[in-house]
Amino acid sequence: MNEWPLLIFTISIQAAIGGTFMLWVFQFINRRKDLNLFSLFKLPLIVIGILSVVGLAASFAHLGTPTNALNTIRHVGSSWMSREILVTGTFIGLAVLNVTWLFYHKKVLPWLLIVTALVGFVDVYCMAAIYTHSLIGPWHSVNTFLSFYGTTLILGAVLAVTLLTTSLYKKGIEIEAKQFLKIGLSTALAGFGLHILGTALYTPEATEIIIVSSSISASVMATYKVITGIRWVISILGVSLLGYLTLSSYRKSYTILTIVTLLVFVLSEGMSRYVFYLLGS
Amino acid sequence: MTQLGFYIDQARCIGCKACVIACKDKNDNPEGVNFRRVYSFEEGKFTKDNNGSFIQNVQSYFLSISCNHCDVPKCVENCPTTAMYKREKDGVVVIDHDKCVGCKYCEWNCPYGAPQYNEELGKMTKCDLCVDLLAEGQRPACEGACPVRAIEIGPIDELRKKYGDNADVKGLPSSKITKPNLVINAHKHASN
Repeated sequence: MNEWPLLIFTISIQAAIGGTFMLWVFQFINRRKDLNLFSLFKLPLIVIGILSVVGLAASFAHLGTPTNALNTIRHVGSSWMSREILVTGTFIGLAVLNVTWLFYHKKVLPWLLIVTALVGFVDVYCMAAIYTHSLIGPWHSVNTFLSFYGTTLILGAVLAVTLLTTSLYKKGIEIEAKQFLKIGLSTALAGFGLHILGTALYTPEATEIIIVSSSISASVMATYKVITGIRWVISILGVSLLGYLTLSSYRKSYTILTIVTLLVFVLSEGMSRYVFYLLGS
Repeated sequence: MTQLGFYIDQARCIGCKACVIACKDKNDNPEGVNFRRVYSFEEGKFTKDNNGSFIQNVQSYFLSISCNHCDVPKCVENCPTTAMYKREKDGVVVIDHDKCVGCKYCEWNCPYGAPQYNEELGKMTKCDLCVDLLAEGQRPACEGACPVRAIEIGPIDELRKKYGDNADVKGLPSSKITKPNLVINAHKHASN
């Protein structure tokens, strides 16, 4: 597997997109309450901005001649990669604008958040379309779309829960924290459901790489099955941890547990993406 | 436009790979980069007859392939930079290195494994049908090197008139995907 930059790029950007959406959801359900969104969203928006920039750097690492990067938006009319790069660039620009606006005006712009998230969701579609439009058989599947959106929802939900609920609890805003935890759990479960549906509809053994003398070796298939199995176990552990955080009351170990939950999901989604690239490269 | 293309006489090919070496030498390609490749295929097995003796039933054949300068080149369609393009005068698919970003997306979009990444250049590279040699009235490197005259390059209309229009053999993706400018005289064991 030689596609580490693409793995880091897709995971980082999808987490940032999902996280932005979850922040918008939080402000939307609490729009009539007098919450200090500036102080609550400071850390999450900075982390989302950093994730976007990390994704951008990883995408540059994938290129052989990064100095020609601007040329990649020349073929928007027919190339999904061109479209994806244009939409990703727009998302990253908006993500950075959200942080800049927050610090400059000391307030959150809800419409900018939802516009950023919607551009992000379009971006996830474009990312998946790059792979479904290639000649690599294992990527020609609805699973590519479902798993990309699944990762977006899971990592976005867990990232937002990790970065937001601790400060909510610490500020004594417990009801909102509990409510957001439930929404986070539901969103992560929805993402998990997309992954399950995608896997159920996916038969990589039955696909072929439509490139001369290319095939999926038995050893690659065996590695795929083992990693996928371990990944599901780790995902279930993550869901259990998130469920525990949602149902239990706040305690000192809460922050550590949320970070552990986030890391568990980063690992499971990273493994899911690893096998995705393994089957194609 | 006079579209250029290849005729490959697979029935004649002996798998010597002189075409691969001539192409590599002409283009000064590094290790691992081969614009033209010869794939070998083996099939069949030893079977037991009624007397208990084993009968040899093994076949092998070769296939020499490079870029086929397709009519519907997916590499051109999907290249994000427009660096990959089809020349108007002869339909040869070439890469503008001033534009190429080295994203390798064309690699995932060519059924023939034609675009290949050159690590030293940080860009994609591929067969350009030796248009420089053709312009000087010489023959392309692969054609000139083939000891059994299994490769012929020329206007595809003429090649099809002489040799037919088959571009599908066992081991090669369907010609319906990109409509290659390729005619193959299939080996008897490689016919689809």
